[in-house]
Amino acid sequence: MPGPLADRGASGIGHPHSAAEAAQAAARDFPPLSLKVDRISVMYPNGQRALNDASFSLSAGTVCGLVGANGSGKSTLFKSVMGFVNPVSGTVRINGRPVREALKQQLVAYVPQAEEVDWQFPVNVTDVVMMGRYGAMNFLRISRAADHAAVEASLRRVGMWDFRGRQIGELSGGQKKRVFLARALAQGGRVILLDEPFTGVDVQTEEAIITLLRQLADDGCIILVSTHNLGSVPEFCDRAVLLNKTVLASGPVEEVFTEPNLTKAFGGVLRQFHFEHSTIQNHDGRQVRVLTDDERPLVFGKDGHLEYKDRTGREDLVKIRSEEQD
Amino acid sequence: MDTLLVPFHYDYMLRAILVSALIGGVCGLLSAFITLKGWSLMGDALSHAVVPGVAIAYLIGLPFALGAFVTGLLAAVAIAWVKTGSRIREDASIGIVFTSFFALGLLLISLNPARVNLNSIIFGNILGISVPDIKQLVVISVVTVAVTVLKWRDLMLFCFDPGQARTLGIRTGLLHGLLFTLLAATTVAALQTVGALLVVAMLITPGATAYLLTDRFGVMLWLSSALGAVTALAGAYASYFLNGATGGCIVTLQTLVFVVAFLFAPKHGVLAASRKAKRLARMEGETAL
Repeated sequence: MPGPLADRGASGIGHPHSAAEAAQAAARDFPPLSLKVDRISVMYPNGQRALNDASFSLSAGTVCGLVGANGSGKSTLFKSVMGFVNPVSGTVRINGRPVREALKQQLVAYVPQAEEVDWQFPVNVTDVVMMGRYGAMNFLRISRAADHAAVEASLRRVGMWDFRGRQIGELSGGQKKRVFLARALAQGGRVILLDEPFTGVDVQTEEAIITLLRQLADDGCIILVSTHNLGSVPEFCDRAVLLNKTVLASGPVEEVFTEPNLTKAFGGVLRQFHFEHSTIQNHDGRQVRVLTDDERPLVFGKDGHLEYKDRTGREDLVKIRSEEQD
Repeated sequence: MDTLLVPFHYDYMLRAILVSALIGGVCGLLSAFITLKGWSLMGDALSHAVVPGVAIAYLIGLPFALGAFVTGLLAAVAIAWVKTGSRIREDASIGIVFTSFFALGLLLISLNPARVNLNSIIFGNILGISVPDIKQLVVISVVTVAVTVLKWRDLMLFCFDPGQARTLGIRTGLLHGLLFTLLAATTVAALQTVGALLVVAMLITPGATAYLLTDRFGVMLWLSSALGAVTALAGAYASYFLNGATGGCIVTLQTLVFVVAFLFAPKHGVLAASRKAKRLARMEGETAL
């Protein structure tokens, strides 16, 4: 699976939201890839429903944010896509085949939440990334030159090669996350699931991870990111799935991320700051800065349309909006 | 000098020393997985739950390993059932199940004192081990070592990140069963050497000691096996001179080694940790100035 592993250097960085790049991406020749979640319902062992009649589908070259409050069924949906739980009804298909077959082909890779990992386990960075190769190895899991090459390429790509001998507990939060991302790369997974990848990660690492995820999508992967960090979704996802025990909405981010949808998903959980009700006055103009301690803010414009952090890469959008207004 | 060689002049002593070293090595090997998987309590439960199996096997003339294995498995199923079928937590369900199995074993033995020796099950009887029993132990050991050597990477992945194993298409249910079977088999083997009460030490202490000494799992496997074998050998040897219980000697020696590692391990020992804390405090003090 050389596709996602090939070192693409700095190309591919930037925003794919522009029409030109999107068209270019569509024209590129990916091996076909699709993920289809079709009306699945999942029960907890105690008989409660974790997910009810949830459906969405994704195709190659997509970064999709899976967004919902705690207990909305995000991790259950993840487990269904990875084949860890069996839905009582409905199906999950990857390339039209059951998940079990996709797992055998090493198509699905998973980057776990930091809390799920035993950081004191006696393994170093190389050991962890090599675990991504086990599926491709023989019965005895003896690594060959190709496996070592894949591990090195993956570690270099996430910028962790210099740390290859470190015990994993001796890394910072962002470095830990990059190691597990490298494992997914070494595996050659094309459906990559990340569970809360930005928790406990510094801002620079977050940017670096986002850049890498965009590159992987451009290489024809499907990236599914579960997050409760609303503001980050418009910045790096093409599509979003809003979850609250079922799929409330799915599709392009700007269609899914509307105030009514988010209110349905989060109820009264979201804090709001209305500029027109605040002490901000007209003479402040656009000189208003928003700081948050952890998560990115999600900002809606006048008609409830999404606002983005950077103008660069979104010149088309800025042009359309300015024509509407002035 | 000659007195030091005396134990080797007695066949029963030589046998005891060699069998102990073998079992100690195998238990040490397994202990690397058990301690990292968090199955220490499960090992303790198993060692008690096999007692009724051993008693029944001796009563009806079956290989003791078979009886032990069956009740060990039954106990594991019962523990899982009590835990998932009720609101009782895992530690409590383990406690309930293994003590009831152990009680049943004691009862069976006390009803047939002539056929089964209580002492040899509870405290081990390596000095009086019979040749058929040695054969069972050797078979168990060879199979356990062979399986571990072949599949240690899969078992390591299963201990570290079972989710990753599953996404790679590896059958974690099989690995779970495999590790449990190996644990049950070694428990049975160790029962002969140190007895039901001390088996769990053989299955935890070498792994815990090795864990303090290295950051690589491969190294930890070697270290814990070697520690298990050497301490069992030396403990059995020393028991001749001390005229004490073999099991007691072996486990006390293992504990001594553990304490040394706990205090003096170069990176993860208590002293190293306090040195590091002091150094950090000093550095912070300097930057503050």
